[in-house]
Amino acid sequence: MEQLRDTANKGPAGQDLLASGMPCIEIERITVRFAEKTVIEDFSLSVGCGESAIIMGPSGRGKSTLLRCILGFVVPVSGSVKICGETVRPETIWYLRTLVSYVPQEPELGNGTVQQWLERPFGYKANKEIKDNLEKIPEMFNRFLLPMELLEKDVNVLSGGEKQRVAIVSALVLGRPILLLDEPTSALDDLSKKRLIEYLSRVSGGETGNNGLTILAVSHDPGLIAIADKVINLD
Amino acid sequence: MGAVDISLIRLGFYYSLVLIPLGAMLWLGVPIIGKTLIAILRMTLQLVFVGLYLQVVFKINSPWLNALWLVVMIAVADLSIIRGCGLKLGRFLAPLFAALVVGTAIPLLFFVGPLLKRPDLMEAQYVIPIGGMILGNCLRADIIGIKNFYESLQRTEKAFLLTLAQGARIKEAILPYLRDACEAALMPTVATMATIGLVALPGMMTGVILGGTNPVTAIKYQIAIMVAIFTGTAITVVLAILLTIKTSFTPYGVLDKGSFKK
Repeated sequence: MEQLRDTANKGPAGQDLLASGMPCIEIERITVRFAEKTVIEDFSLSVGCGESAIIMGPSGRGKSTLLRCILGFVVPVSGSVKICGETVRPETIWYLRTLVSYVPQEPELGNGTVQQWLERPFGYKANKEIKDNLEKIPEMFNRFLLPMELLEKDVNVLSGGEKQRVAIVSALVLGRPILLLDEPTSALDDLSKKRLIEYLSRVSGGETGNNGLTILAVSHDPGLIAIADKVINLD
Repeated sequence: MGAVDISLIRLGFYYSLVLIPLGAMLWLGVPIIGKTLIAILRMTLQLVFVGLYLQVVFKINSPWLNALWLVVMIAVADLSIIRGCGLKLGRFLAPLFAALVVGTAIPLLFFVGPLLKRPDLMEAQYVIPIGGMILGNCLRADIIGIKNFYESLQRTEKAFLLTLAQGARIKEAILPYLRDACEAALMPTVATMATIGLVALPGMMTGVILGGTNPVTAIKYQIAIMVAIFTGTAITVVLAILLTIKTSFTPYGVLDKGSFKK
């Protein structure tokens, strides 16, 4: 766990995020429109470092869109998004994404075997220095009840639950200080859900105090809501 | 001994052969008879125009005029690719034009210069037919490659975005798509090279033999043009994609859907 958190809680300039007291994620009065439709209006949110927050609400309220705004996949028409005090802009997004791990809803894994898919991010220039994190895959597979034989399987033959767990493993193995999750338990069975919730509870503020991951999740799962430091309802 | 001339009357009579495929289309109910007739008419008019124009061009043999004709050919190919791939004209016109110029010019100039050792690199008799053959194949390869690239990206957008989220820069994220697009674009040429001469005599060789040259010389020309076509198509497809990504992705690395016609 400690090895995985080599880059945890370090800001863009290598500063200690927890000591600085700045929020890890700060969304200030953003409005998002797709064509003529306003999906999010004048919304603000702040998630402190080591904090875990859940966003919930009816379908179509822009929950997933909020996560995409943080990653720069959707650009608000007004307002700002900051990660570790740095505004999400074209000049900064390429670095800021290296502070965030993302598990989308119903992840699509592309092509190749599971092993190839897990190894691929460590071929990118941004991740080459943390290639040793790949050694944690067996431990993570065991934790989330994935058989090691799965590594040789083509990603396209995986079940929805297997894809979701593999995506979660990939996100955690990258060892970044911020974790964005979009309905992470939607395709999981009860035991896998329990394992994930226990793990997230340990690595966020919970057991390790403030020295944990910052987690922002879209979810309606009561188990995840129960461990969150704050719940934001987009009702 | 040059090729035997064909009289207009005999050519007109030869046109009657198209009644066979048209008859088959009518019988099977293939709904492209109208398009076919228009295409035959266009082919006739375009080739007549080109034939008359090339007579003048070959007679004058001005390097500037020859270069201008090549530029016109490349511009027409550029527009065909943009239309064929459903792209927005403004964003893709210049980068595709540049890719076609480089992809055509490099093998063409090597062909006319170091290979044929022609003193005038812009000699009409060589530069226009050879340039046209290279360009025609670049056009086909570009349509296949660019369509494959952008359609794959649109189809697997979620997987692409996840790649960006994992820390990939644009060039790292598009690499698998570029690889697949190149494979799709180059496979027809690779397949042609593998089977050339076994099924039919290829066009360049046929033309050179009909012009009275001995078959051994014709084979050398054919080999050279295949190398030129393969080189040109590879350069064009890779350059076209790399040059167009500047205008088809947002500064955040997301594919800009405004690049495509709806």
